Amino acid sequence: MEERLIEFASVLRRNGIRVSLSENMDTFRALKLVGIGDPVLFRHTLRTTLVKRAGDVKPFEELFDYFFLGIGQALDAIDRRIMDELGLSPEQFQEMLEQIQRLLKEMEGDLSALTRALLNNNRAELERQLREAMQQEMEQGTADNFRLTPYTRMTARLQLDRVQSEIERFKGMLQMLGENGEDLQNVLRYLDERMRDLNRLLREIIQQEQRKKGIEPRDFSQRGALADKSFAFYTEDDIRRMNDAVARLAQRLKNRLSVRRKKAARGRFNVKNTLRKNLQYGGVPFHIQLDRRRKTKPQVMVLCDISDSVLNASRFMLQFVYSVQDLYSKVRSFVFVAEIGEVTKLFEEHDIQTAVEGALKGDVIDVFSHSNFGRAFEQFYKNFFSAVNAKTTVLIIGDGRNNYNRPSDWVLREIRQKAKQLIWLNPESRMTWGIGDSEMPRFAPHCHVAEECRSINQLYKIVDLIVP
Amino acid sequence: MFQSVNDVIAGFGAQKYICNNNVATVVYLGTALQKPILVEGPAGVGKTELGKVLADALGMELIRLQCYEGLDEAKALYEWEYAKQLLYTQILKEKIGDILQGSRTLQEAVDCVANQDGVFFSDRFLLPRPLLRALLSEKRCVLLIDEVDKSDAEFEAFLLEILSDFQISVPEIGTLKAKHIPLVILTSNNSREMSDALKRRCLHLYIDFPDSQREMEIIKLKVPDVGNQLAEEVVRLLHRLRKLDLKKTPSISETLDWVRALTLLNVKQLDHDLVEETLSTLMKYEADIRKAHQELKAYLAEKQAQRPGGSEKDHLH
Repeated sequence: MEERLIEFASVLRRNGIRVSLSENMDTFRALKLVGIGDPVLFRHTLRTTLVKRAGDVKPFEELFDYFFLGIGQALDAIDRRIMDELGLSPEQFQEMLEQIQRLLKEMEGDLSALTRALLNNNRAELERQLREAMQQEMEQGTADNFRLTPYTRMTARLQLDRVQSEIERFKGMLQMLGENGEDLQNVLRYLDERMRDLNRLLREIIQQEQRKKGIEPRDFSQRGALADKSFAFYTEDDIRRMNDAVARLAQRLKNRLSVRRKKAARGRFNVKNTLRKNLQYGGVPFHIQLDRRRKTKPQVMVLCDISDSVLNASRFMLQFVYSVQDLYSKVRSFVFVAEIGEVTKLFEEHDIQTAVEGALKGDVIDVFSHSNFGRAFEQFYKNFFSAVNAKTTVLIIGDGRNNYNRPSDWVLREIRQKAKQLIWLNPESRMTWGIGDSEMPRFAPHCHVAEECRSINQLYKIVDLIVP
Repeated sequence: MFQSVNDVIAGFGAQKYICNNNVATVVYLGTALQKPILVEGPAGVGKTELGKVLADALGMELIRLQCYEGLDEAKALYEWEYAKQLLYTQILKEKIGDILQGSRTLQEAVDCVANQDGVFFSDRFLLPRPLLRALLSEKRCVLLIDEVDKSDAEFEAFLLEILSDFQISVPEIGTLKAKHIPLVILTSNNSREMSDALKRRCLHLYIDFPDSQREMEIIKLKVPDVGNQLAEEVVRLLHRLRKLDLKKTPSISETLDWVRALTLLNVKQLDHDLVEETLSTLMKYEADIRKAHQELKAYLAEKQAQRPGGSEKDHLH
């Protein structure tokens, strides 16, 4: 048992759950107390001693099932499904199995052990066969490892084609015997189902084995790649997952900032408070009182280019800023292509997702025109510049491709002078700034920060700039 | 002390706290292994209550430390009473003549004063705060460190010494060791992730919202006057509401408040007007209430559809 537990701990570790030696020792001490007889108690004990993060509970449960229950659950589910499909009660199902068992005995020629176990519904034997094959596969591994999928290799090892032909043979025999109508149909269907079940079980067992080794199934590895993928190449699916990523990022930041910094030890000496606090000591200043340094909440203005080329970057920036909006005293957002429009109200009335989609869809401005940064800037200056003050961080997201229009970069100069910070995020590679109709060399010098922001990883880095 | 997991369930049950097997297992292990328990979960699922009930069930004293940002040793552990010490020094001034009587040389005088040292540096100037009280308590007690996530990282580091060795060092006196190792419950609302060092020293317990059946049990236990039908409807509606995307999901404690309010109003089953009027006990945000309204309408419409005419008849009574 000890070995098995230590192995389980390392399985957890491989799957990203941190288990230290002292936690392992706790498990042993706890199990000494409660014993290993009661499976529920055993599971709870392991969970409380090994898992210390609420988010790790789910993976733990999954791995526990894989590790200690094996494919038992999958087998249960399969039995239930077959019974449902054939419309049989458990008793009838049992009866049918016995019948098949009798018929199998009569069948001439040798049957493979696997076929026998499968058709007799001998679960222990079935699992043993599959596991053994898996074990051999893992140990020996062939030169084909890279060419063939584990599934193909296992199929060959278990000789599934033989099982298939044996079942066909059995079916033929049944038809020859001419059993009576409905029963025969049921049995035939059962046989077909069984073959499919075997395939399912095989996939399940392979997946479990991979989880144990810490090989993540394919869709997990894609998430890692997403972090470096350029926004421009996002698919619908990526966008959905990106939404999750942004939400997580926002939550993490909020968590970090919700515990505000401890009373600053460096504030100015406060005579009044010091006197008052030390009255009890006869005026001898035991406790020095300092002024607390208060951090003011900044304001943010987001200007998003929502022409096709930068749509995704704008989407995530808007989403992010509004996810953390309680860190700011005020958030105002604008979208532009050739004209600029304010979308702050959208965000007040709808939840973030709906508002972002609404802002990008063109309810406020015409999204089908050609980008004109200069004109948008001028309009911003005319209508909204008065709202910029020394606490405002102005955040512009755009590629700076101005279609050879007038750049009007003087607006940026004005903003820089008045605002606390002017940040430009460009979803284009820095290499291409200034090539073609890109006006970035003209815009960038006016900004405190001008960065490229093309992927989640870059977004993560930039986030530190705009969070107070 | 608890002898088994079932013992915990029974003991808690006697205190009107319904807990599932998981909670009981962790509590049992925590008491048996003398390890602190870190409880996490959404607000209002009974994390703090767990500490109180544990103390009641074992008949121990509960010492509670509420954490907040800026909490420091002076407020959590002990404070040195300078004022009192000053006062003693004043007395010394007057009595110094008596003490020094008979001493001829300066050496003798200093020795005389040194003999009285204990008066000036002893635990009589030590003002114990919750943590120290828990350690020095004559009987074993339950120490509840509430909302530990609200405290600063420094305080968390300082807790480590207490939680693993159950001792603290006081510069003026020396190291104080616990007379009895207290049962420690830490609760966290996850406003920040606790450090791994702290987590390693604790057993971890995650309490989530209960399933419908258990919530029914809780309601009936805490509000005995509630009618069966009302309890059932409330639970069904709540589980629907919890699925909505709300700013603050209604918790068990809010549910109980609501049920109490409904029972006071002598409600036998939910209807639209009543719920609308009392919804503010359940929801704390305007936006949430608006969302809940829609869900409520859908729920009541479904109910109506299920039992045509049924509710009308009840209205007549």
